[in-house]
Amino acid sequence: MEAFQQSFPSHALAWPPSRKWALAGVVGSGNLEVLIEPNPAAPDTVSYSVETPIPGYRDSWLAALSDFSAHYAVGGTTITLHDQGAPPVVVKLRLRQALDLLTSAQS
Amino acid sequence: MPQVPYDSRRRNKASRLSRASSLAQGKLVPHEKTADLLRAVLEPGDILCLEGDNQKQADFLAAELAGLDPSELRDIHLVMSCITLPSHIELFKKGMIKKVDFAYAGPQGAAVAELLAAGKFPIGAIHTYNELYARYYIDLTPRVALIAAAKADRAGNLFLAANTEETPAIVEPTAFYDGIVIAQVNEIVDTLPRIDVPTDQVDFVIEAPYPMHLTALFTRDPAAITDTQILMAMIAIKGIYQEYEVESLNHGIGFDTAAIELLLPTYGEELGLKGKICKYWMVNPLPTMIPAIESGWVDTVFSVGGEVGMERYTAARSDIYFTGRDGSFHSNRPMGQLAGHYALDMFIGASLQIDIHGNSSTVSKGRITGFGGAPNMGCQPNGRRHPSKAWLKAGREANPGPGALPGRKLVVQMVETFQAGRVPTFVETLDAQDPSVKSAMQGVAPIMIYGDDVTHIVTEEGIANLGACRTQEERTAAIRGVAGYTPVGLKRSSADTAALRARGIIKLPEDLGVAPARANRGLLAAQEIKDLVRWSGGLYDPPSQFVDW
Repeated sequence: MEAFQQSFPSHALAWPPSRKWALAGVVGSGNLEVLIEPNPAAPDTVSYSVETPIPGYRDSWLAALSDFSAHYAVGGTTITLHDQGAPPVVVKLRLRQALDLLTSAQS
Repeated sequence: MPQVPYDSRRRNKASRLSRASSLAQGKLVPHEKTADLLRAVLEPGDILCLEGDNQKQADFLAAELAGLDPSELRDIHLVMSCITLPSHIELFKKGMIKKVDFAYAGPQGAAVAELLAAGKFPIGAIHTYNELYARYYIDLTPRVALIAAAKADRAGNLFLAANTEETPAIVEPTAFYDGIVIAQVNEIVDTLPRIDVPTDQVDFVIEAPYPMHLTALFTRDPAAITDTQILMAMIAIKGIYQEYEVESLNHGIGFDTAAIELLLPTYGEELGLKGKICKYWMVNPLPTMIPAIESGWVDTVFSVGGEVGMERYTAARSDIYFTGRDGSFHSNRPMGQLAGHYALDMFIGASLQIDIHGNSSTVSKGRITGFGGAPNMGCQPNGRRHPSKAWLKAGREANPGPGALPGRKLVVQMVETFQAGRVPTFVETLDAQDPSVKSAMQGVAPIMIYGDDVTHIVTEEGIANLGACRTQEERTAAIRGVAGYTPVGLKRSSADTAALRARGIIKLPEDLGVAPARANRGLLAAQEIKDLVRWSGGLYDPPSQFVDW
C-alpha cells in the first residue's frame, strides 16, 4: 500500500457544481474509485489524495494528475482516489467522468 | 542435343499417380491408407503445400505427414500460410523440411523461435497472405497440395462450406501445373449442396476419421468490453468514421473494433450516421455485427473465412452476405484480401507495439509470428484510381506535390497506450528491430504496418492524424501527444502538443465533443453473447465455450 497527497494549481471550476460530491468507478481489479468534492476555500487549487496497493508508480501518478489539473478547470475541489491497480487510462477516464458528473446539469 | 523440358512435369505426375493407383478406388482412398498414399506420391525435393489457415486446418493430413519416417519424407520445401498445429512443428523436429515459406505462425510463435535458434527452421521468407498465394503462381507452385474440404461426392467434387478461405488459391496453381491435389473431407456424400472445387482439379479424396479443426477466431464476447474501449470507440466514430464519411471498411478481431460495432445502433444512431457510414464491409461474419445489421446499418459483407456459429444467420441474411445457390455462406481469402486492398475507404486494426515513426509490429523477442493478412489491407494501394469521399479527403490532407496521388486509404491503428500488465504499447524502438529477430528475416525488420502507410493513430487520449503531418519530427510529436503516460508519451513537449492540437493534427475527446462520462457499457447494443442471440432472432448459434446459460 502506498498513500500520498499532492496539490496542483488549476483554473477554477467553470460553473458552480450542481451537487455536493460525485463518484466514478469502483474499487475493483484494474479499476479505481474517484470521489470529487467542492472546496470553495481554495478556488485555484486542486488537492489529490491517492491510495494504491501497487507501490513504485508515484511519479507516473503525479504526471497524470498534473496533466489533468493543467488540462481541465478543476480548481476548488478535492479529489480522493482509491486505486485497485488501474492503468493511467482508467485513472484519467474516471477523473473526467467524476468531473463531468459534478458539473453536469442533471440531478 | 540437350533435353528440352516440354512436358516432364506431366510425365512425372503420371508416374506418381500410377504408384498410387492400387490405393484408390476412383479417387477415393480409405483413411487407413493415407500414409501409403503420401509415400507413393511424394518425392524428395518436392514443393509441398499443406493447407492450414488461421481457421480451418487439414489437420488429419498434417498428422499423417508428421507420422512418416524421415527416411520416407525428406528435402521437402514446405509452403503454407499458417504454421499453427503441433504436427506442423513435428515436421521440423524430424528434419524433413529443407526450406519453409509461410505467412503466419501465431500460436506456434515460441516453438518456431526455438527451432530457429536450434537451426531447425530454414526460413525462405515470411510473407503476407496474398504475397504467398501470388508466389504459388510464380516460383513456389506446389507439386503436391494437401487440402481440407467439408464434403466430397464419389466423383471427387468438393464442397468447402463456409470456410473456403484459401483452398482455391492452393488448388488452382497446383492442378494446372501438373501437381497432385489430395483432399481430406469430413464426409463423402452422394450429392453435394454445391460444387466449390470441380473433380477435374482433385486427384485423391480421403474421408478423415474426425472432422477438420475449425477455430471460432472472430467471436468477441461483449461482456469483456471495457469502458476504455468504449471511449476509444466513441473517439473513432466521431473523429474518423463521421469525419471522413467512411463507407467501406475492414475491422480486425480486437475488442476495440467490436466496441465500435456495438455502438453503431446506439451512439452512431444518435449522431445520425446510419446510411452515411459503415455500409460496405470486408470482414468475417462477426457476431458483434449482428445488432448493426439488424438495425439496418449494413448493405454488404464479404469475408475471407466463415465463423463458427454464424451459419444459419448468414444463410438467412443473403442480402448482406455472399451465399451459394444452396443458400449457405461463401468466403474467399485471396479475393477478400484483394478487395480489402483496393476497394476500401479504411483499414482499422490494433497492434502490440508502435514506435515513434508510426511503424507497428506484433513481434516480441522469443516469438516469430509472421504477418498474416493485415499488411495486405493496412497499406496504401497505389494502384487505386477510383475516388471516394474518404479517399479524396485523406488525399487532400497528405503531402501535396506534383507527383502525389490524389487520394489515400485511411490506415488507422487503434491501441490503448498500455497493454495488459502495464506493458507500454508505444516504444522508441520496436522489438522487431532486435538483431536476433531481423536475422531470421535476412536483415529486414518484420514491420506489420509501416509508419508511412498509417494515416491515424487512435488511443484513449485522442487521435493523431499522421497523414496531415508535414515532417518526420511532426509525426513523432503527434505520436507522443497521444501516447499517454508511456515513456514515449512522457517525452512530449506541451508546446508541440498544443501547436499540433491547434492545427487539428491532435484531437482530444473534448475537441471532438466526446463526453468521457458517457463511456460506459450501458452504451453497448449488446451486453453479452446471449444478447447477440436475441438480436439474431435465435439464428446465431454461439460455440459452447461462449455459452453459460
